[in-house]
Amino acid sequence: MRGIVYCWAAVMRTKLAEQMAYRSHFALSVLLLIVGDLVVPLVTLLVYRSGASFPGWSLHEALLIQAVFALAKGIAFPFFFGMVGTTLSQVREGTFDLLLLRPRPVMMMAMLTGFDPDDFGRLLSGSVLFGYALSGAGGPSWQSWLQFGLLFLASLTILCAVSLFLSGMLFRWVGSSRVFDIFDAVTSFGMYPGTIFSKSLQNVLTYVLPIGLIAFVPASALLGREGWGVLWALVPAAAVLVLGALYWNRMLRGYTSAGG
Amino acid sequence: MRRLAAAIRAIGFATYKEWAAFRSHMAASLLVGPVLFLVQVFIWQAMYEGKETLNGLTYPQMLAYFGVATLIHYISFDFADWNLQMLVRSGKFVTFALRPLPHWLFALAQKIGHRSLALGIEVLPVMALFILAFGVNMKPAAPGWAVISILLSFLMNFFVNYCVGLTAFWLVRAEGVRRVFLLIKDVSAGVFLPLSFFPDVLQKLLFFLPFQFITYLPTRVYIGSYELTGIQLTLGQAVGLQAAAVTVAGAATIALYGAALRRFTGVGV
Repeated sequence: MRGIVYCWAAVMRTKLAEQMAYRSHFALSVLLLIVGDLVVPLVTLLVYRSGASFPGWSLHEALLIQAVFALAKGIAFPFFFGMVGTTLSQVREGTFDLLLLRPRPVMMMAMLTGFDPDDFGRLLSGSVLFGYALSGAGGPSWQSWLQFGLLFLASLTILCAVSLFLSGMLFRWVGSSRVFDIFDAVTSFGMYPGTIFSKSLQNVLTYVLPIGLIAFVPASALLGREGWGVLWALVPAAAVLVLGALYWNRMLRGYTSAGG
Repeated sequence: MRRLAAAIRAIGFATYKEWAAFRSHMAASLLVGPVLFLVQVFIWQAMYEGKETLNGLTYPQMLAYFGVATLIHYISFDFADWNLQMLVRSGKFVTFALRPLPHWLFALAQKIGHRSLALGIEVLPVMALFILAFGVNMKPAAPGWAVISILLSFLMNFFVNYCVGLTAFWLVRAEGVRRVFLLIKDVSAGVFLPLSFFPDVLQKLLFFLPFQFITYLPTRVYIGSYELTGIQLTLGQAVGLQAAAVTVAGAATIALYGAALRRFTGVGV
């Protein structure tokens, strides 16, 4: 465990030092991520201003879903999602072999190598939006906070599993940056109230392809709209993570390079 | 002139062949486009509950807006900015500085080839899906004006992106600037939401910026009515305005390209 923490600390130090060589670029990248994550909330705000709304959801409640989504990305992207970019570039260039040679688990090394300090910008935009949305949505009870905390872990679990699936896919679908578009498209279901989708799609998005768990379900729990039964949703989240890890390792076994 | 056309055709064809090897990357749009559109269908279905129009657009018109905007995005998609910045940063631009064809024309020819391939792999299949699976009315109100407007959008997107790419001649690492600018461009072009939803002050500003000519204006021309900041134009007037804006953008690009070349230094140049 101490070795893992040491690795993380060393990588974070190195990546930060690397970013400091291009400070204005780093500042712009962080700014971009902050602004970029606020685009969907801005669209929601403009639509609500025009008099339309998601039935049964006030502006602050709808923004809370998007805030939880941004918060989850703010944690998942720096720590796990970078492995998608790492796999994308290193498999294409043939340098992924270097990760195989290191005396640490390959999956962990792929995550570590993909660590990106820029992505903490998302955490900032998510926190600001979260505070704003919560200020207009009333004070949640401690039960709601507890449910939210557990479901937020499920949210991170889902994002980690998605990273594994996308990264694993890139061992075969070499060099395709379209995986990021696929991520954006599939997870866009999770940025809006689940109640706007048909009942069957809602069930699919909660229990089969648990995209709804990234933001909608945790936000609903925080708003006191869910009972304790919602914690059953942790099961599909864990199952998806296990499947993701199995898939990634299976795809890794199929990886071939110039080194054999 | 004939030799120039032959050169453009040859570069376009080579790009077409090169990218045909990566056609599965483009084909991902067959999943991405309809999935994003499905989300829009659910969003607007909920938003229009009990309402006939929102900012002057009916529900079918709103779906048509997003359907057409998606297709225009595929047709005019451009990465001249990324490509140029990569060439400048890596020093490979030197080889282009020595060629008897300006690089901006080379990049335009590449875009023509790249997007010709996309027509068969992305645009037409996604359009068929929108019509058959979602029942969206994708019939242009005035096909002639729609085609001209989309072609102008193709050029405008190229000129805007190329100008962003030219910043690489002045900045050490221009990637951050590029990404910020492209995000502003997409928001201001009406990719995420029709510009008529923006506050009046912003609409007035956006009317004079070049971005609306990339997505919003051609989409509205395709649907058959143009209105922004209270200004209503006929289709002919809207396309005329777009043509004027593209001419200005083209002239600005060529002027900026000349200034960039004067600044450029490389090994052997």
